[in-house]
Amino acid sequence: MAEPIIDMRNIEKHFGSVIALAGVSVDVIPGECHCLLGDNGAGKSTFIKTMSGVHKPSAGEIFFEGKPMNFDSPRDSIDAGIATVYQDLAMIPLMSVARNFFMGNEPTRKIAGISFFDHQKANDVTMAEMKKMGINLRSPDQAVGTLSGGERQTVAIARAVHFGAKVLILDEPTSALGVRQTANVLATVDKVRSQGIGVVLITHNVRHAMAVGDRFTVLDRGKTLGTANRGEITPEELQDLMAGGQKLATLEGSLGGTV
Amino acid sequence: MTQTAEAAEAEAAEPEQPPVDERVKERSKFHQALIRPELGGIAGTILVFFFFFLTARDSGMFSPSGVLNWSIVSAQFIIIAVGACLLMIAGEFDLSVGSMIGFAGMSIALLSVSLGWPVWLAIIVTFILCMGVGALNGWLVIKTGLPSFIVTLAFLFILRGLTIFAAITTTNKTIVGGIRDVAEGDWLAPIFGGKIFTGFFQWMGDAGWIETFERGTRKGQPVVEGIPMLIVWALVLVIFGHWLLTKTKFGNWIFASGGDARSADYVGVPVNRVKILMFMFTAFCACVFATAQVMEFGSAGADRGLLKEFEAIISVVIGGALLTGGYGSVIGAALGAIIFGVVQQGLFFAGVESSLFRVFLGVILLLAVILNTYIRRMITGEK
Amino acid sequence: MKKIKLLAAAALSVAIAVPLAMMSTSAVAAGERYILVSHAPDSDSWWNTIKNGITLAGKQMGVKVEYRNPPTGDLADMARIIEQATASRPNGIITTLADFDVLSGPIRNAVDQGINVIIMNSGTPEQTRKVGALMFVGQPEYDAGYAAGLRAKGDGIKSFVCVNHVISNAVVAERCRGFADGLGIKLGNSMLDSGQDPSEIKNRVLAYLSANPKTDAILTLGPTSADPTLLALKENGLAGDIYFGTFDLGDNIVKGIKSGIIQWGIDQQPFLQAYLPVVVLTNYDRYGVLPGNNINSGPGFVTKDGLTLVEKYAGEYR
Repeated sequence: MAEPIIDMRNIEKHFGSVIALAGVSVDVIPGECHCLLGDNGAGKSTFIKTMSGVHKPSAGEIFFEGKPMNFDSPRDSIDAGIATVYQDLAMIPLMSVARNFFMGNEPTRKIAGISFFDHQKANDVTMAEMKKMGINLRSPDQAVGTLSGGERQTVAIARAVHFGAKVLILDEPTSALGVRQTANVLATVDKVRSQGIGVVLITHNVRHAMAVGDRFTVLDRGKTLGTANRGEITPEELQDLMAGGQKLATLEGSLGGTV
Repeated sequence: MTQTAEAAEAEAAEPEQPPVDERVKERSKFHQALIRPELGGIAGTILVFFFFFLTARDSGMFSPSGVLNWSIVSAQFIIIAVGACLLMIAGEFDLSVGSMIGFAGMSIALLSVSLGWPVWLAIIVTFILCMGVGALNGWLVIKTGLPSFIVTLAFLFILRGLTIFAAITTTNKTIVGGIRDVAEGDWLAPIFGGKIFTGFFQWMGDAGWIETFERGTRKGQPVVEGIPMLIVWALVLVIFGHWLLTKTKFGNWIFASGGDARSADYVGVPVNRVKILMFMFTAFCACVFATAQVMEFGSAGADRGLLKEFEAIISVVIGGALLTGGYGSVIGAALGAIIFGVVQQGLFFAGVESSLFRVFLGVILLLAVILNTYIRRMITGEK
Repeated sequence: MKKIKLLAAAALSVAIAVPLAMMSTSAVAAGERYILVSHAPDSDSWWNTIKNGITLAGKQMGVKVEYRNPPTGDLADMARIIEQATASRPNGIITTLADFDVLSGPIRNAVDQGINVIIMNSGTPEQTRKVGALMFVGQPEYDAGYAAGLRAKGDGIKSFVCVNHVISNAVVAERCRGFADGLGIKLGNSMLDSGQDPSEIKNRVLAYLSANPKTDAILTLGPTSADPTLLALKENGLAGDIYFGTFDLGDNIVKGIKSGIIQWGIDQQPFLQAYLPVVVLTNYDRYGVLPGNNINSGPGFVTKDGLTLVEKYAGEYR
């Protein structure tokens, strides 16, 4: 097994008297898709915010590429190569795809000593990167607002990959999407993984997780219920774990196995 | 070359061509070129000129002095509209522009006439003061997290009050004159109040192509002596604003700061710096307006610039910018200012009862905003 | 869909533009054309008498008259209106000279282009000469204030407050200065910047009078400040008790004079300031005749005696 690119050990996070994380350990290997599952309130969001530098852990250690690491701000983790794609905070709908793609990392070109935004380069790179991800843009000037939810997620992912992310955290990328868009996003995840990037996929949909996941970690009430490799666990077992044990089995029976 | 190579590479890695979404209608190149933020402004400008050409053709509106008249008024609107436009795109408002104009004018007058400073020093100190107030506006908005609407509204009153107070306590008057005399021979004053191409206009006047004075001390001189620096400033500011917004990295930050400050901040755009700089730029524009006015008329009044903040915002909105930020165009704002200026002066030329000016303005504002909203929805896919 | 909306917008604008255009074409009639430019904002009702005055003169003389003013009262905007009036090549311009620095340039330009100019209302005979205008029709403000001050001194007044609603107009402030000199006291802090809003004016007057209870007299500078001051005096019970004089007339001022709350009103007779220049300009253009001097339209003191005509036409021609 390859060295993990990021290794989070026994992470605890307390908000006042509330213990949001009570010792969670997760590691991500380059080129794998590690799915983080759990019901609402399980601590998924707190955990990834710790990973992306928004929160500082109360206890526990983070190793990035084998070295201990302390993130003081989101900027630190971005610089280290951890990119997070939030569901609604990814893109500015009024701006063009190319302007969004290079927001904060604008390419420049000097003419007579004056720095110009290199639109040509921005447009070309955006078109090429989007094509790699399987999206045919009408033009790079197209506003992000005209794209579908899935396409917006894909632009954000492509942006993170282009700017050298080693770990890509996706926060519920599929929760607001239709069936076809979900399939597109999951296909994008597969492409990213094949480039050797470690993907952390947060979801509470077992079928989406099973579609792309290499490993599955289930969180419940701030604790890890265990990590399983692909093929070692069935969707039903995952579902039960997420619901916190065997409780769902009876419920599932009464609903005719449709949950 | 690299572009095609890259594209080929992409295709090699991805043999199946991504499907074209059949629900997105293909648009022609012409159609695409047409649908831009300035479209409303362009259409409005054409309509307004067409209208006045029909109704006021023989009234002197299109004689050299008539053209100069509405050009100056439009240029004044342009100067403050450029600042307001960039600030609005960055997601903020400045309601203190009008008071800033009064404040800056009075500052120049008091420093140069009452305190006897050289005019160039008075102008430079005033610019520093104004941009300082702009920076303070921006800093307060960012530190307190209050809407800029409220913070700058406070400065609308503070600056106006200070202007009247300073004028009354130092000179016992609310209008301070005599600046033209002290500005005589100053090196900086002509950059705001001077005229260019005067030789060319004199030559045209001598040749009988443009009107000349019929009597008085200036008999034989052309009525239009040259292009006032006010118009030059307006052009320079429009070009600078347009370049900054569309052709630089900083322009992308302006759009991003106004579009969604949190998203922008998250990807490393220095949102606070962008906003404070835009507040300072707006103050700079107001100060240019004030200085040019003071140098032209030779006096500063405590009530100068009343309601100019709204005229600036109206111009920007006619020009297609979004009140909530993140979208707009400097060219559009300039066209909005031209529409505003031409309508305001043109109605007089057309002999329309002056009390109807506001009715006309309201109608144009409404039409422009409706048209702009449709254009914007077409571009950005907003619902 | 979009085309329909664009068409609708265009149709709407044409629907609005056409009647306005028709109005404007009917406005460009044959005969002499005169433009009156004032410094008053739209909100100043006193200028209605001026509008009626030029309209009547226009009708009687058979000439076309126009009234122009800066909507917010900004004098820099007024300078543009004069330039613009000049560019439209009228036979004559009648304008106020509210600020010599700002307005002298544009007025001089009009004169030098062969347009006859008469200064009305604000300005001095000396400034009128300087800009090359034909004559000044108005009330010398300082002299009017001085005369009023002498009158008040005779009535035993020792202190006063001047309610100034146009603090930016230097000429109007001369009225207060003249009044103080007539009384033989210093102006000092007696000038109250009241603003233009009626309820603000009322409350500032109330505040001033309660802070300075020894004030003998109130001087208001026009209906804009007089009307709210009347209300203020009724509210604090000083109506009829405090000495109250005002410049200019209006409906409420006339009622106040009648009921004894206001001792006198100084009528600068704005009707004449509008009516006479049109008549003078027309006769000058037609027959080359011109009166040899400036015309003083005021001051005329209006008291309780002989109010009948004033009452009938207050706000219209008086």
